[in-house]
Amino acid sequence: MHALTLPLLIGLLGLAELASADAVVVVNARSGIERLSRDQVTNIFLGRYRGLPGGGTAMPIDQPESSALRAEFYRKLVNKDLTEINAYWSRLIFSGKTTPPWRTFSSQEVATLLAGNPDAIAYLERGQIDKRFRIVLEFSP
Amino acid sequence: MKSADLVPLTPLHSRGLLMRSTLVVILASLLAGLAAIAYTARTTSQHAHQITQTRLNELLDTVESTLRVACFARDATLAGELAEGLLSNSDVLGVRIFADPELLADQRRHAGDGPPALRRAIFSPFDNHQKVGEILLQPDPQVIAARIREEVWFAALQLAWQLGMVAVAMAVIMLLYIVRPIKAISDRLHAMDPTAGERLATPRRHAGSEIGQLVIDINALSDRLVGALAAEHQLRVQREIDERKYHAIFNNAESGLFIVDGAGTLSSWNPAFARLFKIDPQSGDDEYTWLHISLLNWDSPERMTGMIRAALRENSAMTEDLLIHERDGVRHWINIVLSPVGDNLLQGVVHNISHLKEAEASARQLAVTDTLTGLVNRLGLEQRLQTLVRQYDYSQSGGFSLLLLNLDDFRRINEGMGLMAGDNILQTVTSRLSGCVKSDDCVARLSADNFGIILNDITRGEVADMIASRIMHALRQTYFVDGAPVNLHASIGITIFPHDANNIPNLLRQAELAMDSAKSAGGNAHVFFDPVLSESAEQRRQLENDLRGALRNQEFALFLQPIVDLRGNCLSGAEALLRWNHPTRGLTSPDSFIPLAEKTGLIVDIGLFMLDAACRQLLAWQQQGLDYTLSLNVSGRQIPDGLSPAKLREVTEHYGVSPGRLALEITEGVMLGDIDKSLRWLSAVHASGFRVYLDDFGTGYSSLSYLKQFPVDTLKIDKSFVRDMRQGNNENTLVSAIIAMGAAWVWKSSPRASNCSIRRGTCGIWAATTRKAIFSRGRCRSRPSRTPLGWSPSGWRR
Repeated sequence: MHALTLPLLIGLLGLAELASADAVVVVNARSGIERLSRDQVTNIFLGRYRGLPGGGTAMPIDQPESSALRAEFYRKLVNKDLTEINAYWSRLIFSGKTTPPWRTFSSQEVATLLAGNPDAIAYLERGQIDKRFRIVLEFSP
Repeated sequence: MKSADLVPLTPLHSRGLLMRSTLVVILASLLAGLAAIAYTARTTSQHAHQITQTRLNELLDTVESTLRVACFARDATLAGELAEGLLSNSDVLGVRIFADPELLADQRRHAGDGPPALRRAIFSPFDNHQKVGEILLQPDPQVIAARIREEVWFAALQLAWQLGMVAVAMAVIMLLYIVRPIKAISDRLHAMDPTAGERLATPRRHAGSEIGQLVIDINALSDRLVGALAAEHQLRVQREIDERKYHAIFNNAESGLFIVDGAGTLSSWNPAFARLFKIDPQSGDDEYTWLHISLLNWDSPERMTGMIRAALRENSAMTEDLLIHERDGVRHWINIVLSPVGDNLLQGVVHNISHLKEAEASARQLAVTDTLTGLVNRLGLEQRLQTLVRQYDYSQSGGFSLLLLNLDDFRRINEGMGLMAGDNILQTVTSRLSGCVKSDDCVARLSADNFGIILNDITRGEVADMIASRIMHALRQTYFVDGAPVNLHASIGITIFPHDANNIPNLLRQAELAMDSAKSAGGNAHVFFDPVLSESAEQRRQLENDLRGALRNQEFALFLQPIVDLRGNCLSGAEALLRWNHPTRGLTSPDSFIPLAEKTGLIVDIGLFMLDAACRQLLAWQQQGLDYTLSLNVSGRQIPDGLSPAKLREVTEHYGVSPGRLALEITEGVMLGDIDKSLRWLSAVHASGFRVYLDDFGTGYSSLSYLKQFPVDTLKIDKSFVRDMRQGNNENTLVSAIIAMGAAWVWKSSPRASNCSIRRGTCGIWAATTRKAIFSRGRCRSRPSRTPLGWSPSGWRR
């Protein structure tokens, strides 16, 4: 009985988490950037092209590696799971031409870094959005 | 004997079947191999290119995700790494990676052109539709070529050993199944003697194969050849035998045989021919002796050459009799037959026919000669006449007299004195005749005592008359037969050519008529032909014709002349007399036709008619109760067969008439013929009961020995005695004497009454018989009257 109940509970919890996770791409409100396309967001986060429309180089910030939001984000952005994203970066890191997004250890740290850096770009749960941030890309449900 | 092409062959002979077929198999295999290799090279090349493409694609597949990342991130380093990795594959010659539009990496192993590069678009790792670059892979042509070479080599090797195996197998099969049996057959054929009966054996396991059939065919051919050889040999032997045989016939033949060509050249002749023509015999060695046929001793060589030409022209056998002469002048007749044998040659057969010709000539002479007298015969006379008539026709001059001569009463000599005496007299006559004529006149004996004489150049009657008189005179000379004197005379008929007739049959007939005329006049005379003779002969012939028709037309009638018995002055019977009621001449007396009837034999039929009529008359009398007798005249010609005793009996029995009432009158002339036959007839008739009267008694011989010999019932005294009877005169005395004699001979005698009339009313004739019957011809003013109606006893005056 318990043996069955536990995975079910975990699944239900995950389902609740997924349903609740609603990642949106945000930038520093001061950055002057109003909107970004999905491709722009993809290029920036996957290291292809990080120039911003208003000049400057964007600094992408990742959620903690194992966070559900991160998986949510990449899945919604390029429809890849995290292992694939990791494999992708492992090939690029070798040449050193580009770097992966900035790593954080918590979503607070993400918010902090974003608030403190006008070129920063990150993704947050919609519930974490406040006036310091501006949503530039929302993923349709 | 064996020629070069019969040298036995070895199986590996350079032109041998095995070597040839092996070479052909190898050549064919090589060609097939080359074609196969070319094909293999072509397909292998295509295949190699495909493989290369596939391998390159597979290679690209293995690095595609990394390539995507490199191009997406435009990471030249990563792209360079990838290019190097790809170059490590031996198939790849160069790699180029583009990330639109910049060149991320370009690496080549070495310079050089190659086949078109493999180009592939690179899509984003996150979006399969977003192209982020492309890659060009240049394959290495040397590698491809090496691969192709390797494959072709392998295929060629494989093909080579396969073909090699096939060639070897073919050679072995050829050797075992074809070459060896043929070799065996060939070897056997070389040593074989078909005439000794040797034949090929069928090689093992080839009984049903083509080789077996070949052996059978060869054996059959051998059989036929051997058979043909044997037949040929037989023919040759036979021909030699024939040749020897014909040669012997040719040499030994009695006839001359030869071959001559159209030009008359003799090319071959046999010994008989050489003997006949007195030329050298042809020796066997010297076959080419030539001789022209006209050089032989012909009397007329041109006839021989003409005959050769004719035989060749007509292309048929010719035969002719030719004369040849020998050096001493002796001539021979030869018969020669020429037959064409083709090629302008003639085969001739020659016989010496001299003896045949001689025999023929003598036979011809015999045919016209009378052997008894040595005179020419009738044929010879006719030939002579023909010759003379022809000569006259040709020259219209000459002419001759023809005499036909017959000895009068010569038969009497033959019968009375024998044939030998007759022959002697004929020979004497011959010599006398020959003495009466010129040497070039012709005397011929035509038959028994008939002679013909041709008097050349005698055309004047008086000369002929003189010669005929001379002949008559000569013949009247006395002949002596065995010392006995014999006198003869002759009748001669004379006709003159061309005065009397201009052809031979008429001449002969006229001479005969003249002679008959002389003979009729009593003989011992010569008579010239007179046209009147011809006329009377014509009348006789007419009469003869009429006589033949008379019986058929019932022109004969029986007349009765009564016979009166003077003793009782009563009618005792009648004599039947024949009358001919001729359609134009009227009633005809027998004297005018009976001699002719006797001559022609018609008397027999007439006699039978009379017998029949007489019997009918007797039957009529019998039925009226009258017992008269009836007498019939019988001629010598009717005895013995014309009126045979059997016939007499048959007819009388048929009418139921007693034979005693029928009397048969004969004259003594009957008895002058064949006495034996006449006697037999008389005896038979008499024995049958018929009465026999001897007619005309007193004339002729009136031989008393006949009376003694023959059974005669009644004598009829000739009318010449009765006619002149007067009381007391000589005739009266004579008749009385005869009657007395008859009485003494125990016969009835009767004066012949038939044709006479006794002038005085009464007859004074006496006749005495043992039967007391004395007959006389009635007091006759009577004439023979037609029976039966004119017949009545009451019509008679006594």
